[in-house]
Amino acid sequence: MESVNASTRPDVPGEKTKLGTSLVDSAASAIQSFGPTKKIHQHLCAFHFYADDMTRQVEAHHFCGHQNEEMRQCLIYDRPDADARLIGVEYIVTEELFLTLPDSEKPMWHSHEYEVKSGVLFLPGVPGPVERTDLEKVAKTYGKTIHFWQVDRGDELPLGLPQVMMALTRDGQLNPTLAKERENRAYMQGLTHGIHPKANAGGDGLKTVLREIDCKPSGHPSLEPIPRVFV
Amino acid sequence: MDLKPTTAGAEKDGIPPEKPTPVGQQMLDKGAQMLQSFKPINHMSQHACTFALYSHDMSRQIKAHHFVTRLNQDFLQSAVYDSDDSNGRLIGMYVYFSFRIIEFVERVEYIVSDTIFETLPPEEQKLWHSHAYEVNFFSFNLNQEPFLIYGFLIVVVFVFQIKSGLWIHPRMPETIVMPELKNLAKTYGKFWCTWQTDRGVFQLAISLIKRMFFISLQQEQAAEDGVVNLQIARERDESYNLSREDLMRSRIEIPEPEWINPTADYWRQHKKGFKIDVESTEMRTSFS
Repeated sequence: MESVNASTRPDVPGEKTKLGTSLVDSAASAIQSFGPTKKIHQHLCAFHFYADDMTRQVEAHHFCGHQNEEMRQCLIYDRPDADARLIGVEYIVTEELFLTLPDSEKPMWHSHEYEVKSGVLFLPGVPGPVERTDLEKVAKTYGKTIHFWQVDRGDELPLGLPQVMMALTRDGQLNPTLAKERENRAYMQGLTHGIHPKANAGGDGLKTVLREIDCKPSGHPSLEPIPRVFV
Repeated sequence: MDLKPTTAGAEKDGIPPEKPTPVGQQMLDKGAQMLQSFKPINHMSQHACTFALYSHDMSRQIKAHHFVTRLNQDFLQSAVYDSDDSNGRLIGMYVYFSFRIIEFVERVEYIVSDTIFETLPPEEQKLWHSHAYEVNFFSFNLNQEPFLIYGFLIVVVFVFQIKSGLWIHPRMPETIVMPELKNLAKTYGKFWCTWQTDRGVFQLAISLIKRMFFISLQQEQAAEDGVVNLQIARERDESYNLSREDLMRSRIEIPEPEWINPTADYWRQHKKGFKIDVESTEMRTSFS
């Protein structure tokens, strides 16, 4: 699959990693334990678009771990390589769990039914029949995605506010070469109760807004302003 | 060494309504794991642990486990979890970059600020003008927003986090991580929290995206102890069998930045924090 991010992928500024530094890294990766990331067991590839701009679509490589049967959490990278950039996170929950969320929360979640059944979403390297066993489940879930790094506009660093992302919900942007797999997945059952009207931003767009608010102190006198002395 | 999980987080009722992963799913996961490659994950090379607090409510402090990937000498990115055991919940993402990148960012500054400024709602733009000085100074870090000041804040934070022994690399001998600590003492950082696990309920809530900044420490030890919640710090240190006094002593030689911008104390003077709201807007689409 041609990487859509490749053309817009700027280099992260900075010097090449120094030998001394990479030695620290190798020592640490040998000695330390990586509990939560060891649990990541699945690589899933799909596209996200900005919740206020459907024309900006980003290839998203999800590396997911199950919290339990009801929920997965994923790290999202711009490509599946060692030097990939961490551009966001996604939480995936079952329909049951989604329905328990407050209504104000629901618009930020997107349905996966179309993505799965259209063949847009896939597990790289996993043969079709095996892949479909898991995707049957994914088709019945909702996801909430937040991107921190707008690689599609060429940002060299993660700048700006976090962005709520959405996923494809209908025809019109589908890559025609995926049509075959689409037939294979036609049998899958989507959400039991249908797509919730509030999900997928309720059909509108969503944007993030920064607010400056009063800072609640920790209640200790040391949080009072203390003049700093520069030497 | 006792490797028991250090946060109550995973056992708290904060976790989604329980239904353990059934055997079938576990097999499926294992299958995918064998067939697929996980290069970005395998490239994570460090585990660090420290504390963070919400910028709008400093009484809420959490333990943050960073799983760090280095992209180059000047840039690191990490996935942040609330615990270091396999049930750790993914609570956000952190990036840090060295002082050197500043030069680079100064060059791209206007491009960023120009384009983004137009997209800001009027009340944001007001804010922008009122903080013009900071914006011009270092708009790269927290960028288009006028809060670069926080970039500075975090510089301060990193140095003092490290020197105070709050920032640790669990299970790593201090002598081995020393060069890395010196590097980190010279970085800026930006942390977005996506899951407020400290609220104890499973709520990937509305305003859940909150910028957090790392616990800022004054140079004076007394002040530092006042800011960090000593209770959670002590628990952490005990679980990793560490003495913060020893760490502080071994880190005393780490050089501090030669100059710290006075605006670094913005939040102390203005008592303002930041949060993100999500609003409804019109979707831009060329497909309809």
